[in-house]
Amino acid sequence: MTMQGQATYTCPYCRMVNNDDGAATCPRCGAPVDIRLRVSNSGWCKQPPIRDMARIRFGRSTCQISGAYVPVAEMELHDDDWVYFSHHVLLHTEPRVRLESMRMQGGWNRVLAGIPLIMMKAQGPGFVAISADHPGEILAIPLEANQGIDVVEHQFLVATGNVGYQWNNSNVWFTTQSGDETEWHYPVGRFIDRFIAHNVPGLLLLHAPGNSFVRDLGPGERILIQPSGLIWKDPSVQMFLHFEYPRGQYWFSSARWQAKSIWLTLQGPGRIAIKSVFERPELCGSVRKTSGATTQYW
Amino acid sequence: MDRIECQWCKAQNEPERTSCNTCGAPLDKRNLVSDSGWSEAPRLRDMTEFRFSNSTCQVEGEIVPVAELALAQGDAVFFEHHVMLWKEPAVPMAAMNTGGGMKRTIGGMPHILSIAQGPGRIAFSRDAAGEIVVLPLHPGMELDVREHAFLIGTHSINYSFVRIKGLTNLLHGGSGMYMDRFITQNYPGLLLLHGYGNVFQKTLQAGEKILIEPGGFLYKDSSVAMNTVQMDIKTGMMRRGMYLAEMNGPGRVGIQSMYVHHGSE
Repeated sequence: MTMQGQATYTCPYCRMVNNDDGAATCPRCGAPVDIRLRVSNSGWCKQPPIRDMARIRFGRSTCQISGAYVPVAEMELHDDDWVYFSHHVLLHTEPRVRLESMRMQGGWNRVLAGIPLIMMKAQGPGFVAISADHPGEILAIPLEANQGIDVVEHQFLVATGNVGYQWNNSNVWFTTQSGDETEWHYPVGRFIDRFIAHNVPGLLLLHAPGNSFVRDLGPGERILIQPSGLIWKDPSVQMFLHFEYPRGQYWFSSARWQAKSIWLTLQGPGRIAIKSVFERPELCGSVRKTSGATTQYW
Repeated sequence: MDRIECQWCKAQNEPERTSCNTCGAPLDKRNLVSDSGWSEAPRLRDMTEFRFSNSTCQVEGEIVPVAELALAQGDAVFFEHHVMLWKEPAVPMAAMNTGGGMKRTIGGMPHILSIAQGPGRIAFSRDAAGEIVVLPLHPGMELDVREHAFLIGTHSINYSFVRIKGLTNLLHGGSGMYMDRFITQNYPGLLLLHGYGNVFQKTLQAGEKILIEPGGFLYKDSSVAMNTVQMDIKTGMMRRGMYLAEMNGPGRVGIQSMYVHHGSE
């Protein structure tokens, strides 16, 4: 913890300033306050799992995280507060919680992309619990007023009502040719979600399979990651594809064109988060068109 | 002499014990209860050992735990045969006809349960990340368990299965066609379940209700009524496909956090 005077501290994970009231966990993101920051030699900071039964405050409500393998976010909603989520992550609710559907814009495109067409809104008062049914960690991301982040699709768990949700084309794609057909590939998904807290602070919960790691990129600094390993990034971080072709093959052999690594380049400034569980890269033919990519032949 | 009461199973233990002799729950850690009253099933420490009848059970591993039994002469356990991980060659095996015939085939449940008799060692595991939930059953208890969730039951427990009634429950309940029912009569018994993900338990008062995701249901006292209710909420362009299980007390309800969710648009 970075001490700022006697009365406040800044959480190194969510970077929010809190009153130093001796709590064992950060009231904004649930990160433990009594552990050392664990940073790898290359600069990745391990996001510590939220402790069992840790409480996070938002608005006039609280969120309590329980469980270790497949954690549950249990929210005690105040009358004035509401949250939204995809309906299949609802684990249990009190009958007094008002559940309503929340239609999203651009329905057909959402159906095509395999993301929920309708979100569910839970209005307090009462308890409602959310869980993604995969082993992993819940990441709590408090957002300051007008702060936004970009989240890869299918990571979203729940957000408070004042957090706006837009979804945009990821604009990261390439095509390959299979016979007469052109195949389109979207290594980070076809769409990317953007969450922005409007006017007042908000809370966003994500579910990341495996462990998650965070780092800052300086202006112009680049790093290559597995495309499906990205969880979220600051909107200021740019992303584009990078193809690497290994040395030792003849230039005209198909192996040369297919034996390639497909990376996602992230370019700062800004913060990024990755997860340790990601999809195995798909095998595909030679690349014809891209959304903009760099290439390296070794 | 002072005794320590286990917060999970209420058994009395000697003061020097760090885990319950009846269910293995840590005695030196507080029961974790969320603000809304859900208790976490105790996370058994690696190599925790507890007793039933004249036999012992040791739970090993944490992500996909294994229950290893040292069965004494005269003790026996029953289980679905595919949860057996290893056994000593000398442990006698028998089969128990469940009496369901074609109904069980239709319900996707095994016709025959296996029985392992002591003396000897045998180990069980369901091959998925989760927790072993240890439920000591006092005489005169009835417990309903989601199908394919039970790991072992001791020989003093009577096993039967109940059909989930009502078409809505059947089609949208997410618990299959049948539930396993475990009944103890004059003697106590021990039941081990495998919960996927983390397991939580809540005790409902008479008339108290809670709505849960049907795929998250794990077990309940048979006094708890379970009905599937359709929520008046759109979940797609044309459909109202959200169903929740309404649990009506009195009694205990157990849920798991990694669940089967059903297809939706």
